[in-house]
Amino acid sequence: MVSINLRDVCLDYPLYGAYDFSLKRRLLGRLMGEASETRTIRAIDRISLEARAGARIGLAGPNGSGKSTLLRLIAGVFPPTGGQREVSGNIVPLLGLGAGVNLDFVAADNISLLLRISGRKPTPKILDEIWAFTELEERMQRLPLRMFSSGMLMRVLFATATAFPADILLLDEWLSVVDENFSAKAEQRLLKMVETAAIVIIASHDHTLLRRTCSSIINLDHGRIASTAQLDTPVPHHLELREKRA
Amino acid sequence: MTVVNEPARRPSVLHIFKVYYPDLFGGTLSVIRDICAGLKDTFAAAVLVCSRTPGERRIVVNNVAVERVRSFGDVLSLPAAPAYPWRLWRRIAEHDLLALHAPFPLADLVFALGLGRSRPLVVHWHADIVSHAALRFLVEPLMRRTLRRASAIIVSDPVLVETTPLLQEFAAKCHAVPFGIDVAKYDRPAAPPTEVNARGRLVLACGRLVPYKGFDVLVRAAHSRNFEVWIVGEGREREHLEQLIRDYGLQDRVRLLGSIAESERVKLMRIADVFVLPSVTNAETFGLVQLEAMAAGRPVVNTALDTGVPHVARNGLEAITVPPGDPAALAYAIETLINDTDRRRRMGQAARHRAVTKYSTTAFKEAIETVYRTAVAEQAAAKDAGSSAPGLRPQTAGLAAAIQIAAALAWSDMRHRYVRSLLGPFWMSIQMAIMVAVLGSVIGHLSNASAVARLPMLAASLTAWTFLNGVVLDATTALQNSASLIKDRALPPVIFLLQCTFRQALFALHNATVPLALWLALTPRDFGGALAALPGLALFIVCTLALSLVLGALATRYRDIKPIIESSLTLAFLASPIIWTPEMIDRNAAVMRLNPLTHLFAIWRDPLATGQVATTSLLYVLGCLAALAVAATVTIARLRKAAFWI
Repeated sequence: MVSINLRDVCLDYPLYGAYDFSLKRRLLGRLMGEASETRTIRAIDRISLEARAGARIGLAGPNGSGKSTLLRLIAGVFPPTGGQREVSGNIVPLLGLGAGVNLDFVAADNISLLLRISGRKPTPKILDEIWAFTELEERMQRLPLRMFSSGMLMRVLFATATAFPADILLLDEWLSVVDENFSAKAEQRLLKMVETAAIVIIASHDHTLLRRTCSSIINLDHGRIASTAQLDTPVPHHLELREKRA
Repeated sequence: MTVVNEPARRPSVLHIFKVYYPDLFGGTLSVIRDICAGLKDTFAAAVLVCSRTPGERRIVVNNVAVERVRSFGDVLSLPAAPAYPWRLWRRIAEHDLLALHAPFPLADLVFALGLGRSRPLVVHWHADIVSHAALRFLVEPLMRRTLRRASAIIVSDPVLVETTPLLQEFAAKCHAVPFGIDVAKYDRPAAPPTEVNARGRLVLACGRLVPYKGFDVLVRAAHSRNFEVWIVGEGREREHLEQLIRDYGLQDRVRLLGSIAESERVKLMRIADVFVLPSVTNAETFGLVQLEAMAAGRPVVNTALDTGVPHVARNGLEAITVPPGDPAALAYAIETLINDTDRRRRMGQAARHRAVTKYSTTAFKEAIETVYRTAVAEQAAAKDAGSSAPGLRPQTAGLAAAIQIAAALAWSDMRHRYVRSLLGPFWMSIQMAIMVAVLGSVIGHLSNASAVARLPMLAASLTAWTFLNGVVLDATTALQNSASLIKDRALPPVIFLLQCTFRQALFALHNATVPLALWLALTPRDFGGALAALPGLALFIVCTLALSLVLGALATRYRDIKPIIESSLTLAFLASPIIWTPEMIDRNAAVMRLNPLTHLFAIWRDPLATGQVATTSLLYVLGCLAALAVAATVTIARLRKAAFWI
């Protein structure tokens, strides 16, 4: 069963580099009787969250309110400092499109490598499907990504990242990165992915996007849940609208 | 409004079983035949089985294409057909649905290997494995994998799900579909089905002559009674049963009729007075043949198995149920019916009524069709969702997945390292050759020994050092360089440390062409020594890996470690016998004895040179490895926090 269960989760982010942690400082500090605990910032403060299959959660909040950190904590990148984190299901965190890309490699190699990184076997059929989605010319598959315009690059990365369904999908500021001509198609594919995933958590500043896609929105502020809003508008209703537009 | 386009082609289903007509007759086969025939309008059927009879590989039976794979006889109740898994794998892609008639471990092998994931699989669970139970532990993991991968499991009676532990695990996808029987076939043209032979003492039993059918119990039951027993069927127990009949002196009352045509069997069903299903193990899950007898209006004597058998014909209503393997109880039940004409008639009528109402072919056909259609539709839906199969999720987890990803990344590094270079990856080999030539000539001037004779060892040592140096240096920056993958894709940091070792190992293989060529050209080619060097080389690599894990993590956490490591490596290169040999200086110098690198090189270089390895070196290295292993374990646990450091 796919589920996410956070109970009073805290995360203290250690601030390496911001303070002098050196041996000299520590020894002197000890001698002078200074408190020697490492400086941290509380990025997540006692957040409890329960999500079952079917949940569509939007995370909203100003910059630095802990949206991305919370997503990373759910994905298992950061271990929680306190509280309990239980996640079951296959998590696909898509927090940055560009992760793992090497601009010197040709497009096809990049796609294969990205698929391998997500534990998939890149078969010619899958590669063809991905390439078909990008709507780019066939011969461009053999060009290094360095030669792609940023819009083309986004198409390739987006098509690769969304090629497979996920149990738990974590998205961070997503649609903003896709270029205009492609965005309608991309949004549809993303919505399809959101539809098939059991749990989706999207962090975004775009409130209209969240309202369209999510069943509840959590507002974060300084690492805490400021408010939670349940949205009545069901997702299918929205999808009909989209189809008419498309 | 959307118009649903019926696909022009019927989806095709491949039935997978061990044997088919005309090699054998039996309940399971008639089920497969009925499915093929019943669903012929909606599914195109094909059958892939084994066959012992040489001859046509592809035949057509009842309008169904049957492909037979050559088998060399039965081993442990399984056809010995080595080509079957291969043939099955090749056929999977040609069909839209796979119907496995279990148990059939030969096919489980294919599914357990993860082949054929692209097609939906429906398992018809005909029986559990009862014979050769001692070997079950070998087969059960395979069967479990098959069932896990199946989209649906079809059983003939709900009780099977409760009584089979393996099915309980997958209870959610089990569908109970009772077999159907075409009762019209059993209508008596001349006499009404309710008529019974007043003198009646003819007992009929049908089935393959195999131990689980319990015909020996029936023969024993006939001893010192006065009813007649006719047994229809053929099989490997025949001799044993004949012997038994002779031993009891029952030749005049008990007859083995052998294999007979189905129409003849129907006639026998009509004239028999009592039908007996004496099966003794749970391999009998349903007893299709008792359903045929019921359709013919015969009272049944069956056995109290944990399967569907006593549910199809119920004790006191359509049958008398006796404990399995109990000749006395069986004989008593048969005699009760033989002596009570009225009861025989009542039970026969009830049996026919139950066959007509509960086990109709239409219901069976429709239920199977629903399961098949759902399986195909689910697969299509999964495909639409962007995946080619639901089973295509990343299956591997934990360390295995980490190693796979690390290997893929390293392989990509390797392929792209000299992507725009003229010489390609062998650039490395040439670099190594030049280095060996230069250093070799310099050292030749320093020492009086022959420089040429020392070249292969120098080249090997330099290759090994380049590997160790490269792994450790790469590890110090690996995590920072892969920060985006760690933080945005939540990949475990240990992957990127493993990647360093894998990548440098691939580079080392290129470099190794130089020492290999020199070794072949300049030494007497002592292969025994080379073989003896392999364990030492493995230890060397494992130590390097462990060292890189520890130093890589440390250098990421404390940034001043990296320059320290860099300068230490340069020092270590000079202070270890890599370009110079221990013979050039005093072997017992402290720098030699205490330097772990001396021993790390000695454990594979000494066997290569002399065929011997010094025990002290080996112990020293094992000690270092133990310490490194502890440190690496602690490191891997600490790497949980690596995302904070980068």
